[in-house]
Amino acid sequence: MTASAPVTVAPMSPGRLIGAYLSDAKWESLRLLRTPAFSIPILAMPILFYLFFGVLLAGGRAHGPAANWMFVGWTVYAVMGPGLFGFGILVAVERNMGLLTFKRALPMPTGSYLTSKLLMALLFAIVVMAMLVATALTVGHVTLSSGQVATVAAVMSLGVIPACAIGLFIGAFAPASSAAAFANIVYLSMAFLSGLFFPLPMALQPFKAIWPTYHLKELALASASLPSEGSVGGHVAVLAGLTVVLTTLAARKLARLG
Amino acid sequence: MGRAAMADDGKRVGGVLARLKAAKKRYGDTTALDGLDLEVRQGELLAVLGPNGAGKTTAIALLLGLQRPDAGEALLFDRSPHDLAARRGVGVMMQEVSLPDALRVRELIAMTQAYYPDPLALAEAIALAGVEKIAERPYVKLSGGQKRQAQFALAICGRPRLLFLDEPTTGLDLTSRETMWATLRGLVSRGISIVLTTHYIEEAEALADRVVVMAKGRAIANGTVAEMRALVVRKRVDCVTDLDLAAIAAWPDVTTAHRDGGQVSITTPDAEAVVRRLLAADAGLADLEVRRAGLSEAFAELTQEPAQ
Repeated sequence: MTASAPVTVAPMSPGRLIGAYLSDAKWESLRLLRTPAFSIPILAMPILFYLFFGVLLAGGRAHGPAANWMFVGWTVYAVMGPGLFGFGILVAVERNMGLLTFKRALPMPTGSYLTSKLLMALLFAIVVMAMLVATALTVGHVTLSSGQVATVAAVMSLGVIPACAIGLFIGAFAPASSAAAFANIVYLSMAFLSGLFFPLPMALQPFKAIWPTYHLKELALASASLPSEGSVGGHVAVLAGLTVVLTTLAARKLARLG
Repeated sequence: MGRAAMADDGKRVGGVLARLKAAKKRYGDTTALDGLDLEVRQGELLAVLGPNGAGKTTAIALLLGLQRPDAGEALLFDRSPHDLAARRGVGVMMQEVSLPDALRVRELIAMTQAYYPDPLALAEAIALAGVEKIAERPYVKLSGGQKRQAQFALAICGRPRLLFLDEPTTGLDLTSRETMWATLRGLVSRGISIVLTTHYIEEAEALADRVVVMAKGRAIANGTVAEMRALVVRKRVDCVTDLDLAAIAAWPDVTTAHRDGGQVSITTPDAEAVVRRLLAADAGLADLEVRRAGLSEAFAELTQEPAQ
């Protein structure tokens, strides 16, 4: 026997490789579902807020177009949460506690760390959105066709991607102890300063276009043939550009970590 | 490198699974590794010993692709450790890691197994690691020692060819440590190679085929446990005697001499000569005892005098 006898490791079949991605997404979703500090705000808050502000407080005024506009606004709020908090807090904490290092030492498929969180965010977003749609159609006085509802849902599912990019950026740069605070500040600023739930005062109008939530909402409105501002291409370009820039910066930061 | 394909105890060992060649690594002003050569051969349990800051954990980090060497080379299965295909042959137990709190031990094992091409069956991994009793418990509910056991299960569940265990038995009670030792011996007998860092000398003595002693980022000694002991040829002579300590210390073969009450302890490279002279000088000498220095003494001596 020579000293350099090659030692081979069994190759990974494509089926097992895909299985590894799905397995990661499954466990990532399950652990967050079991973490009330995460799952309750993400799953319950948008529905409660929508019921309270969008349905009860709006009273008889929010019917037809106003109710539709309000509903789309709250779906934007709902789909931003899982990506923003799922990435923002978890990446910061896992960076800190050594889990990221451990997973990088394991033969975890490249990309599965982020893909599993993206799928988790998408899954949570779909669940929240389904609850919002059910609420809107039963007590929300919306006058959308099933086609329009489906279009809004589809656009919002894609909206998970920029939400994850913003969360990843926060998670890569914020200290673990303050990542939750940063995520909340960004979340609330994006929701209120982009005019998701009520028309903005004139003074704030010119600045609403800096928030990705504004573009996502207008994109959903336009796609569902509801009154909207700006162009579809413009909104898509802003959201895609933001996603690429934030992801690139975050990836560089994470790659530098020992 | 081309050294015997037979270990000194006659066990067959094969090719080199992992290798550091003149690896250097600095963190700011601190030199963690200063041209370290290290190789892990098939079928051996290699114990890496050394005081804190000797570079043990950094050496493992380079072999796992967690860090890149500033100079020199790290190879895992003749590939870069950054190559996923190389890491598929490896199981890892790190010193500091917290796992997802909300998942049960069984679920953490399933999660880890999914990364490997041909893992153990789930039940087999649980049994082999001895974590049956805690398999259904969420990770957050485990004690420190149980967490180490769970991490050990994650290290072996992928049917690795090579295991890296960074201080695996720290925090374990005696029974759990014995269980893990038995498992490690079983794995080695099945042809699995293990790199184990430890500060328990007795762990290296009990398990290791080969020992590397590190200090200040270099390997200062490398060989079997017996060879490590032989490196330090001194023996220890204990007896109860009335002889003058200063006189004993002045004898030619005596390295050190200490008195504790009536008891005198002498270290010497030539125990026979010292014992002959002691018996000749003191007819009333009692409780004579001659011992070979343990690995612990050898290790302490080696790390104190890295220049040798």
